Amino acid sequence: MWKTYEKVAFRIAFIFFILISIPSSWSWYRNLFTTNWFHPGYRDVYDVARFQPDFININTESGRWGIASYASWGIALVIAIIGAIIWGLIDKKRSEYNLLYYWLRVIVRYRAGIGIIGFGFTKLFPVQMPYPSISNLVTDFGDFTAQKIYWLSIGIVPWYQVFAGIIEVTAGVLLFFRRTASIGAVLLAGALANITFVNFAYDGGVHVYSAYFVLLALFVLWYDVPSIYKLFVLQQYTVPVYHYPVFKRQWQRIARWTLKWGAFFVFVIVLFYLQWWNYRYDPYKQPVHKGLAGTRGLYNVTEFRLNNEVIPYSPKDSLRWSQVTFEKWSTITYQVNKAVQLDLSNGGGSPKEDIDRNFELAGVAGRRRFFYYEADTTNGTLTLRDKNRSALRKGSTDRPNTKKEKDPPLVWHYEQPAPGRIILYGLNDHKDSIYVILDKVDKRFTLSESTIEAGQY
Amino acid sequence: MSGYQRILFRFFFIYFVLQAVPFNFKYFERVPAGFGFRSLFYISRYMPGDSFATWGIIAIIALAGTIIWSLTERKNQSYEQLYYWLRVILRYRLAAGIIAYGLLKVFPQQMPFPSISQLNTHYGDFTAWKLFAISTGIVPSMESFLGLVETTAGLLLLSRRTAPIGAGIILTFTGNVFLSNLAYEGGEYVYSLYLISMAVFLIVYDLQRIISLISLQQPTAPDPVKPQYKKAWLRYAGISLKLLFIFFFVGVYGITANKTPYQYPLQAGLSGAAGIYNVDAFKYKGATLPYSLTDSIRWKDVVFENWATLSVSSNQTFAPDLSNTEEIYDNDADRNFESSGNAGRRFYTYVNDTAKHILYLQNKNNHYKDDRLLLHYERPDSNTIILYNDSLHVVLSKLNKKYPLIIGRRKPLKL
Repeated sequence: MWKTYEKVAFRIAFIFFILISIPSSWSWYRNLFTTNWFHPGYRDVYDVARFQPDFININTESGRWGIASYASWGIALVIAIIGAIIWGLIDKKRSEYNLLYYWLRVIVRYRAGIGIIGFGFTKLFPVQMPYPSISNLVTDFGDFTAQKIYWLSIGIVPWYQVFAGIIEVTAGVLLFFRRTASIGAVLLAGALANITFVNFAYDGGVHVYSAYFVLLALFVLWYDVPSIYKLFVLQQYTVPVYHYPVFKRQWQRIARWTLKWGAFFVFVIVLFYLQWWNYRYDPYKQPVHKGLAGTRGLYNVTEFRLNNEVIPYSPKDSLRWSQVTFEKWSTITYQVNKAVQLDLSNGGGSPKEDIDRNFELAGVAGRRRFFYYEADTTNGTLTLRDKNRSALRKGSTDRPNTKKEKDPPLVWHYEQPAPGRIILYGLNDHKDSIYVILDKVDKRFTLSESTIEAGQY
Repeated sequence: MSGYQRILFRFFFIYFVLQAVPFNFKYFERVPAGFGFRSLFYISRYMPGDSFATWGIIAIIALAGTIIWSLTERKNQSYEQLYYWLRVILRYRLAAGIIAYGLLKVFPQQMPFPSISQLNTHYGDFTAWKLFAISTGIVPSMESFLGLVETTAGLLLLSRRTAPIGAGIILTFTGNVFLSNLAYEGGEYVYSLYLISMAVFLIVYDLQRIISLISLQQPTAPDPVKPQYKKAWLRYAGISLKLLFIFFFVGVYGITANKTPYQYPLQAGLSGAAGIYNVDAFKYKGATLPYSLTDSIRWKDVVFENWATLSVSSNQTFAPDLSNTEEIYDNDADRNFESSGNAGRRFYTYVNDTAKHILYLQNKNNHYKDDRLLLHYERPDSNTIILYNDSLHVVLSKLNKKYPLIIGRRKPLKL
């Protein structure tokens, strides 16, 4: 026999947690029904695992970064309270909700478990925070945004990232089973509370989604707290009470088994394989195409001619380049003393095209230009496109808009007269002719190299 | 206890008493004199030895002790009370260590906001361990939060009723510290594992009850063992010791740690000079050297800190200071948090003779003790500093540098 306040609280909690545990956006269902489930990609399964209540978006600073970004939770709570009042009027004679509570916990457990496994695999196969590019290694610490600093600080320790991924995936798997759910919930609440705090502190922008898991985990844990308190703090004999449904019919048992192990199969086994493939062949934050063979490295600009006039190096010159990098993927960067509109996004969003993969420039100042290129090795030309498209964005931290028309490319000739030397010439974006001699710098970074290499370069 | 449990107990009793009780008096030579958080910090960080080899030796002694103990023991004694007091020793040993590090973070002292020099060093020129420290240093609220979790866990150990919860938090928190030490090449993996070993030992005692209650979901009896005091005064003595512990390791330590920044030097630098400077002109032995990123002699830029430190960036390679443990130094000259783990800038501490306008520079890196410079200075205007001596003549102009790290990324930025 439940007390009145327990019944009221349960009705509110039931509607609230159902509302936030079930996808409420059309795009989620569209993705679910348009995916070819015989040949799913990692983006498809990941997008199924990743959703959160999305009833309202408040377009203010607080709506993006602060308390107002939790408005959807507030809406869910208001609906839950109204619903609970009506429910209470209809269902007056009810003495307890033991079994309904069990099913609510099942739904919350699976929602939390599936979501965190989706998140965890991108760390277990470390692609969520890639090791810094060469251009990032030659950028001053103070020229990054705080968000970028945190992402890089995990990127430099890939094994640590793997460990964090194992914790998250383990927490998720433990949540699938009722006997281990509480341990999974403790792990999830602890790990994600830390991540929520990280996002607030570093302006990481994922503070709502991470807090969502803390909320779900605490709800799962809520049931066990009284008995833990009684046994350890009060030191009393404790009899835990759990109510489990009894499945009398065969089809019920089959349905339960299928749903349970189906979820396990899709989100643990299939997603494991897909994320492994992603890590191996298409690490989603790094461009996937190889850079021009043998060029990877940091280059000093030995000579720079503009319209055939030599410009000597000066840190104050607004036209002359310095510190050129060729990445292992097809990106070239150079520094020039002219202010640029910064890309302030998180550099995520798993875009398919290399030119839109902007992690290497997201949150990076230091007056550096980033170009995606395609090399024509028979004619010795590079076709380059500016990767920094932040001026075209609506909000400074939006995901890249991959559909917008690209600027016309630059076409430069390249020569490699000697090992370590590259000569570039052509017209720059102001139609002035440039002729640049680059010499590779034998730079050994103090920071240890990555011990795990994602992708094939 | 069954037979094998009794043997195991004897082993762990000797092993952990030797680990936790400060028998190695030689350690205390490194504890600085004085009354305050510096000395308490080093006391709290006691270990019988600095490497895992000591653990091996202690294990061998414990093994030998177990054999002797097992052979000489006449009748089967109950080890319940002895086990209880062993856990008391470990709880307090662990609490002292955890709270000491926790409070350094609560008042965020352990990892202060990066200095101007650190902000102007290439990412790849730091060691991973330094990046870990300064990446945490940019978010003091995060550091305080972590410290609060750590301190709370330590405090929970002080009561036997909450000890398993405290030990559980420490297991995850310090487990994370241990892995961070391994991943970021820090120097405190032995010490963090030392603390973890105690937390594990404490948790094991309650493991059966935890699993029985929340996993097997069966009726579970609480811990039957309570401390027995043969005389009433022993009970009061126990309470007094507990209060003394809290007074020193929480009260005195917390109050003094709150007041004393220790990572950066305290002596004020050249007044109004703090900032980063472009090297506009550079003469060496009479010859003017133009701007260059490849020349090993010409300076690229110079930083004056708020305190008496100056750092220089140039293309000269050198052996960086690779210190990677937490130390609390009293003297400015020893405070190397700003310079260790940095291969991009050379750091000099200086004494300013304000009457003669001379800076006496001393390289902070222990590998370059002989690198001393005497530099006259002139300040023709508030943004320009000219440094010179017999062979050098350097004109510095202050840069109005803006940091996205400080401005934030909530509004569009053009830098």
